[in-house]
Amino acid sequence: MKFLVVVGLALLLLTVESVLVQQLGLAISRIDVTVVLVAFLALRAGTREGAMSSFAVGYLLDLMSGQPTGLFTFLAVFIFLLGKLVVKLVEVRSRLTFALFAMGADVGHGLLASFFTWLTAREGVAAVSLSGLPTQVALTGLAAALLHPLLRRFEVERPSSVGMLR
Amino acid sequence: MLSLLKRYLTLLIVSVLLLYPFGSFLAKGRRGRETNFVDRVVIGLTAPVQRGLIAVIDGVKAVVFGYIDLRGVRERNEVLSAENLQLRAALRALGETRAENERLRSLLGYAEVVPGPELPARVVGVNPVSKLLSVRINRGEDEGVFRGMSVVTPDGIVGQVVRATGGWADVALVTDPESRVAVRVQSSRARGTAAGTGKGPLRLENMLRTEDVQEGDLIITSGTDGVYPPGLVVGRVTRLEKKEHGMFLGGEVEPAVDTTRLEEVLVVGSPFGSLVQAPLGGER
Repeated sequence: MKFLVVVGLALLLLTVESVLVQQLGLAISRIDVTVVLVAFLALRAGTREGAMSSFAVGYLLDLMSGQPTGLFTFLAVFIFLLGKLVVKLVEVRSRLTFALFAMGADVGHGLLASFFTWLTAREGVAAVSLSGLPTQVALTGLAAALLHPLLRRFEVERPSSVGMLR
Repeated sequence: MLSLLKRYLTLLIVSVLLLYPFGSFLAKGRRGRETNFVDRVVIGLTAPVQRGLIAVIDGVKAVVFGYIDLRGVRERNEVLSAENLQLRAALRALGETRAENERLRSLLGYAEVVPGPELPARVVGVNPVSKLLSVRINRGEDEGVFRGMSVVTPDGIVGQVVRATGGWADVALVTDPESRVAVRVQSSRARGTAAGTGKGPLRLENMLRTEDVQEGDLIITSGTDGVYPPGLVVGRVTRLEKKEHGMFLGGEVEPAVDTTRLEEVLVVGSPFGSLVQAPLGGER
């Protein structure tokens, strides 16, 4: 996926999420659309291109959070690299497996975000984030299943490798 | 050397992308950095796109919900008209009381705290991250909204502006776990603090256990925190814990405003706003 397409898509998805969460009246849980995007990048993008795109996605999330700390930029790149490792072990092709993959990524993202928030913020903030995690993971999985066809549309066809040994 | 750099270029780029934000987080983790030039440029570029998207979403919502909303409008209109009459009568009575109050104040020589102007704003979205419970409103620096201003509805307080840019402002909600509001019990004037817990009720803190406070009492802002003007409704006491030992009592306050269903809000220029807006070390 091209860098600018990812940035545009991230902006669109974050805006839709922001409005949707308000309409649904969710107090704590969010829909981690950026994690869905990063999970897709981990599956399809090269390391350099994917890391740069993940950085941009994380930076946008940080910027829209009201208090940019750099945490979500770091986590986006970290989850991307972790995802790249995981896809060496599992095969993710269908919509369902992508949703499960994104949910796994969201669990990791949520736990790490809570941990780092607990390290720096006042008592109680991390606990609040964790209490909303199960709903958040479920909503993110649903979003991943819905977004999978759209994300595949933006995917650039890459030439398949010839032979096993090159 | 060049070939070595070429060989490890990807590793180098990925390391920088990973470690730079992590270092930035470790350095300024808690409060976050101020909006810098790059942030402003990105916000400036993305804000019109976001505004356009919100307009499209609003348009779709208006079409979908327009018909549903129209159902029952006649009955609702009659109820509201009756309520309007009652409120106007109450307002007239209050006007008399206010005039009398002002006369007595001037006789006693009281100085009155005058809150700044109120600016109506629309909630256009929520923070996509639950680390900070905040909403975004469609007014920013261009309209005179600055960090530290309080945000209210006619029902009570909503929160405080934590960041303002060109046409937007982010408002940290009173329910955010980092939020603290200086409050007072309306009937007994006992002072305390209402702390956000992240969900549902606020926690009542720093209120002496000897104070006269009951379940159901109305809690209002005291104005001593320099953010919220005094006398705004915060909520009602729903639970009280009076321990046998210790200086303070504990309790819960149900917020007057449901922060998950916000649509229209008012940004209030705090009477202490000039202090908040003044740049550090700037001219006074």
